[in-house]
Amino acid sequence: MNKRLTVAALALTLLTAACGGDDKAKTPAPSVQATTPTTAAPVRGGTLVVAISSDPGSLNPAVTSNGGVHTASEMMFNGLVGWGADGKLAPELADSWVIEGGGTTYTFKLHPGVKWHDGQDFTSDDVKFTFEKALLKLHSRTAASVGSAGVTITTPDPRTVVFTFPQPYAPLLQQLNVTEAPIISKHQFESCTDLATVASCPANKAPIGTGPFKLDSYSITEIKMSRNANYFKPGLPYLDGLVERVIPDTGTQVLALENKEVDWLGSVPGPDLARVKANPALATAAAPRGSGGGNCITTVIFNMKPPAGRPAFFADLRTRQAVWAATNRQQAFQQIEFNQGKVADAPIHSGISFAHASGLALPTFDVAKAKTLLDQAGWKDEGKATRIARGVQGVPDGTEFAIDYHGFVGAQTTYGEVLRTQLKDVGIAVTVKTEDNPTFSAAVFTRREFDTGVASYCNGDDPEIGVRRQYDTKQISTTAFSNGAGYSNPEVDTLLDQAAREPDPAKRTPIYRKLQEIAVRDLPYMWMTESAGVRAFTANCTGFNHENTGLFAEAASCKR
Amino acid sequence: MNRRYLVRRLLQVLPAVASILIVTFAIVHAAPGDPVVAVAGESGNQEYYAFMRAKFGLDRPLPQQFVTYSANVLTGDLGTSFAQGERVSTLIAERVPATLLLMGSALALSTVGGIVLGALAARRPFGPFDLAVSTAALVGYALPVFWMAQLAMLTIAFRTGWFPVQGMTDARANWTGLHHLLDVGRHLALPALVLAASEVALITRMARTGILAEMDRGYVTVAQAKGLSATGALVHHALRNALLPVVTVVGTRIGFLFSGAVLVETVFGWPGLGRLVLSAAQTRDHPVLLGMVLLVAFSLVLANLVTDLIYARVDPRIRYR
Repeated sequence: MNKRLTVAALALTLLTAACGGDDKAKTPAPSVQATTPTTAAPVRGGTLVVAISSDPGSLNPAVTSNGGVHTASEMMFNGLVGWGADGKLAPELADSWVIEGGGTTYTFKLHPGVKWHDGQDFTSDDVKFTFEKALLKLHSRTAASVGSAGVTITTPDPRTVVFTFPQPYAPLLQQLNVTEAPIISKHQFESCTDLATVASCPANKAPIGTGPFKLDSYSITEIKMSRNANYFKPGLPYLDGLVERVIPDTGTQVLALENKEVDWLGSVPGPDLARVKANPALATAAAPRGSGGGNCITTVIFNMKPPAGRPAFFADLRTRQAVWAATNRQQAFQQIEFNQGKVADAPIHSGISFAHASGLALPTFDVAKAKTLLDQAGWKDEGKATRIARGVQGVPDGTEFAIDYHGFVGAQTTYGEVLRTQLKDVGIAVTVKTEDNPTFSAAVFTRREFDTGVASYCNGDDPEIGVRRQYDTKQISTTAFSNGAGYSNPEVDTLLDQAAREPDPAKRTPIYRKLQEIAVRDLPYMWMTESAGVRAFTANCTGFNHENTGLFAEAASCKR
Repeated sequence: MNRRYLVRRLLQVLPAVASILIVTFAIVHAAPGDPVVAVAGESGNQEYYAFMRAKFGLDRPLPQQFVTYSANVLTGDLGTSFAQGERVSTLIAERVPATLLLMGSALALSTVGGIVLGALAARRPFGPFDLAVSTAALVGYALPVFWMAQLAMLTIAFRTGWFPVQGMTDARANWTGLHHLLDVGRHLALPALVLAASEVALITRMARTGILAEMDRGYVTVAQAKGLSATGALVHHALRNALLPVVTVVGTRIGFLFSGAVLVETVFGWPGLGRLVLSAAQTRDHPVLLGMVLLVAFSLVLANLVTDLIYARVDPRIRYR
């Protein structure tokens, strides 16, 4: 028996499949309008100007998880499954899907008549090609999750794609949106997906997609797109054009918005937010997801496994506990985030409600306790500004407790400045290293030559997307934003695998709770803040989908 | 003009540029950050990274990389951008017009404005106008250009709404012809004024000092004794001789003007070479960075040569051998 569910109930699909004693669940295609807000009669025409922070260098989102590339390019592509304006899963290139074998087989029926921007037909071959040649190799999050799960993809006919896993794999549907799995065209990228050609593929600069906008021109300062008149969602998009203008400084982005040169900002800096909200010509909205994923936690990484010859400052649990106790996270949050978001209270973001554990016993701010823990770990106060190692595990005697802190984004680096001040009080000297992304990634993830670092780990809509990479032993790798701490706990690995195979969210909840209790006991990271992005846009533009980050302007329109 | 002198000066360009190239090559490669990770993404796919390293030639010893690069440069090949995948010469050529427009406008504004203000100030030394101009020049010269750019954006562009804060054209418009020119002019005005501000300060001071020195010379006194007004003596006699140090300053300031343009372009989103340099630095795009350094080095050396040649035009007493 099949159970037909509406999109609003789609999140319960897996649960229903498991609890109902039936290993088959099917979801029909709802109307497209269900995924878009209908607050005002849309106006056809006009151009939306979007500020982006950097030249993406490429417009192929399938071969990277780089946020800059995704922000710039996603509006030209689609995923198999998207996010409706109500925050629930919604059909996109796939009209419907059937889950069988308790989550080992997913069969997707593709929307008929979808065309690429060059007029050629979109088929299941494109999906298979995108996953096998691009996403599972080069998109770090999708490769680490879906790829690690051992998926095989078959295409029985041009409108059917089957994903098969050796074990049940629960979170697939949440990983098929345009950010996690954008579908690129086989006929355009076929010659560019071996390692010899992917980065230099000319198509990376002039891709064709199935998305609501098609590329007109690309330069390092501006990307211009125009309406895809053959878009498979009837009537959409309403806008004639979309221009992405590169404005590196976020403060200047806000000025450009206020000066009416720009219509949309993906994120407003905290110091400017009050001014933007007070401006009647502008509107704001919460940003649950970003191009780097959703549900992000600003996290301090303790390097528990430095390379040979580098002192292992954080190999001893008591040292990590001491840094936690010496850090006033609430103060850091207020000073840096201007009260946007909240202080993290668990390793998993509260936005993933079924997995987030509340009431965990995180270390509290207690300077006296921090000093005691440092003494016990062998970090002795010998009357100098910094403590000295005397019998510390993994650290030569006589070593000063002087550590570095790597960060690459403005606000994240500022956390280092706050830590430097706070840790000084317990005899730990911190040198803050402000770096750009390549330098940061090379130091922290490639060479592991760091003591502490900071990253915004986006958990995604399922822990399998963005949490596993932080804690799984197999994710101690050179991949950026993987298990930076070098944390390895077989019990945690087992729990991660167990949760990934469990299709019932209710049954996954205790597994993730157990995992978080262990993480809080071991403290490989210091979870600082659940960041909460705020978008801003001109008030005369409406119809944005704030849930489907990549396709936010699919149904937008502006009255000029 | 002595042709031997010209050839000798041109030959002197080569060791200067070669030295700059060696130093820059070493600095660019010693800088932290991996261009392969910057270009190939964060996948951590070591096989892919190794391929990219080999493709860019980064797997070879540094001296070998330098020899290969230098040999290519001698044949006019600046290489291919790691990040953009296009010829460096093409990327530079695409952006030169925007930077030349900005620098040229700033140079014209600062030179003409500086000479006029200097001449006006010199008419009444230590008078109210002179003091006001001298004070403003001092302030203008002391302010870092990137700070002045942000200040101008906040106080002039944003508060008044007279000027846009970003870009070279209106993103929503597709104007052509006169409308396009006016649009570009409106976007150009503030960046050019900011870039000109520190230069105009210096030129004003140089022109004022030069004119005052010349006005005390005997030939000016003679001209005035023969009935020429003070203004006439200044314009027709003192000014031309006072321009020699101004020409020197303008010639030697091309490099500063370019570095200022990089900053101003970044603040105002002007699509020129400055943005290319910033983007190349962020992505560790060695060929683009080296190509830009070569271009600037050549430009500076040639600007100095042109300055020397203009000397002879301004002051006929100067001869080159």
